[in-house]
Amino acid sequence: MNAAVLERVERLRAEIREFVRTTLPTDILHKSSRHLMLGKDDYVRWMQSLQSRGWAVAHWPREYGGMGWSTLERFVFEDELGRAGCPWIIPFGVKYVGPVIYTYGTERQKQRFLPPIATAEEWWAQGYSEPGAGSDLASLRTTAERDGDAYVVNGQKCWTTYAQWADWMFCLVRTSREARPQSGISFLLIDMRSPGVTVKPVRSMDLCHHVNEVWLDNVRVPVENRVGEEGGGWTLAKFLLVNERTYGSGLGESKFAFERLKQLVAGQNGELGDTALHDRIIELDLRLFALECVSYQVLDDMAMGVETGAEASMLKVRASETYQDILEASVDALGYAGLAYDAQTLHGEALPHLGPDDTAGILRYHLYNRAATIYGGSSEIQHNIIAKSVLGL
Amino acid sequence: MLRESIDRYTADHYSFEQRWKGLRSAYRYSESAWSDYADMGWLALRLPEHMGGMAAGANATSQLMEAVGAKLLLEPILASVVLGTGLVLKRADASQQAELLPKLADGSLKLALAHQESLNAGAEERIACEYRNGSLYGSKIAVLHGDCADRFIVSARNAGAAHRVSLYLVDAARTNVTWQNFSLLDGRGAANVRFHGASAEPLAAAGPADADAIALADSLQEAAVALCSETLGAIHALNLATNRYLKERKQFGKPIGANQVLQHRMAQMYMLEQEVRALNLAAQRALTGPSDGRDRIISGARAYACGAARRIAAEAVQMHGGIGTTDELDVSHYYRRLMVTGTLFGNRDFHLARFAAAGMPA
Repeated sequence: MNAAVLERVERLRAEIREFVRTTLPTDILHKSSRHLMLGKDDYVRWMQSLQSRGWAVAHWPREYGGMGWSTLERFVFEDELGRAGCPWIIPFGVKYVGPVIYTYGTERQKQRFLPPIATAEEWWAQGYSEPGAGSDLASLRTTAERDGDAYVVNGQKCWTTYAQWADWMFCLVRTSREARPQSGISFLLIDMRSPGVTVKPVRSMDLCHHVNEVWLDNVRVPVENRVGEEGGGWTLAKFLLVNERTYGSGLGESKFAFERLKQLVAGQNGELGDTALHDRIIELDLRLFALECVSYQVLDDMAMGVETGAEASMLKVRASETYQDILEASVDALGYAGLAYDAQTLHGEALPHLGPDDTAGILRYHLYNRAATIYGGSSEIQHNIIAKSVLGL
Repeated sequence: MLRESIDRYTADHYSFEQRWKGLRSAYRYSESAWSDYADMGWLALRLPEHMGGMAAGANATSQLMEAVGAKLLLEPILASVVLGTGLVLKRADASQQAELLPKLADGSLKLALAHQESLNAGAEERIACEYRNGSLYGSKIAVLHGDCADRFIVSARNAGAAHRVSLYLVDAARTNVTWQNFSLLDGRGAANVRFHGASAEPLAAAGPADADAIALADSLQEAAVALCSETLGAIHALNLATNRYLKERKQFGKPIGANQVLQHRMAQMYMLEQEVRALNLAAQRALTGPSDGRDRIISGARAYACGAARRIAAEAVQMHGGIGTTDELDVSHYYRRLMVTGTLFGNRDFHLARFAAAGMPA
């Protein structure tokens, strides 16, 4: 990294810290730093406060309202916000479908969809997984049949995060049956208010409502809402998944959780009390250090145009596993305080049953993040990708 | 350019078969390779340009050490080129340098650092060896290449100067030096050395009272980074060998690499290598970067590399199956070399503790 880049990055870090201190609504930070549940309104205010600086879509090209940030700048941005305990940046619009639309969409699609993504006026959901198509995404069975100037869509999507709040869903559908399952998939934008769309909640193991089943029953979708060629959806799907994995390394969140873990373990004298946990903390510290080093190395390599295709997979595996292990150690540090749990309190002002006031939030985050090694391509899929793309196995 | 010349030379002259000859020589390395290194300027790597050197920084040293690991070079590069020459450059005065550096560059002088005294590789070394009235008293153990060294650089407490840790040159051929040579696990030579009144010459460059102790600490950090690079070279070679074997070896009518369980374990080994690669670069930068955070980066890198090496070496043996457990195959040589590398100048526990201590808020 050259000096000019480093200086720009350091200036950005300072700006973000300043923003967290002065601009970010304190009630939102209060909730997110304790892992309480945020409502739709909280998330919209959060995304809009980011966009007040142009940051929600700063990684977009300038012609579409972005700031043309490099991957490094975007990474540093998320690192700083994560470290400060900020909420999750809802990725479906700004990170997932937005780049797909400006890369593959028509002029009309860009004009119609990009502005309300940037301003968080429209909420997006991701219609990828199906009951029979999880890791094997290409075996999806939701069909879209052409009928005049519309597709008629039938099928079922699952694990659809915050579909209960969504205005739109980007959706992989099968437009034809081909020998190769990857062929014949198309990428549609579906208005969630269309007749035939039914959203059914699924309660997660943290006992909260994050994900849904989305049933599509003869839903008419105008052909003009297809992005890319008919049957060319797999290319877009993969483009999106690589973005998801690269941006999603969650280094900052891990650091935030790690700092909290150290506080939890620190005894009255500020010493790390429990010897076994003390050793685990040091091992986790080393893993975080390695993750940080390799993350910046990958960003450096990307900037130089040296990529093997396995980088995003490596970062995803390491980051999600490290994060899970930090949260697991945190639960252990809570001891008996980690037994009481009431999901209702997480939606309001959490009353501590036992232990510090983020106890329930830590438990919830531990439970919720069991999914981190499953979504976005499970750890096993990432290992497959590495074995195939760089090891030739 | 250095990298290419190293790779070309080792490809032509340092095959596993050629290496056997070195292993069976008197000093357990190849004298002819050593003189080739001198001809190619590797031994003068760290010397300033006006002395015919390359004035190489951490990056070039690491490139050489990566090759040392990749091909399991047996010659005393770490002992003499990195540590010995490094300490002479840091602490020898002008007349000592004028005498020593040309010989170090042409390979006629080999130095070894005699520092370790206790068996504990996981704790900061407490030096008991003593210098008084021009002579050294005490014992050092497991001196890397102590069997072939012409002179030792010895860390000892100066009885005439508040028992501060200082550095001394001792001619190996002097009287009142006795030693016991032995082979390390990986076949290189080492020695336990006893000084019972051996006449010793202080490294005499001017400087503050603790200049020797600082130079020693800095050199041990350079050694930690060099060993990171050596580890990287070795695990890269092991991963290549294992990955190739997974494609070649057939059982139950298909390559064993067709089994997902082995693919995933190989992917793990690949990830560890990539991490060590990134950490190794960070450690090199830290050597010349600000002192703030240097300990944490270097010891973190070294601790992680030690853990990665242990895992990769064990997996390489396991995936090669029976043949991997033999002396005949290079895999077991990498395994034993990495055992030595993982202990020299502080093992994983040592560096993990330093990493943790450097990370704690003041």
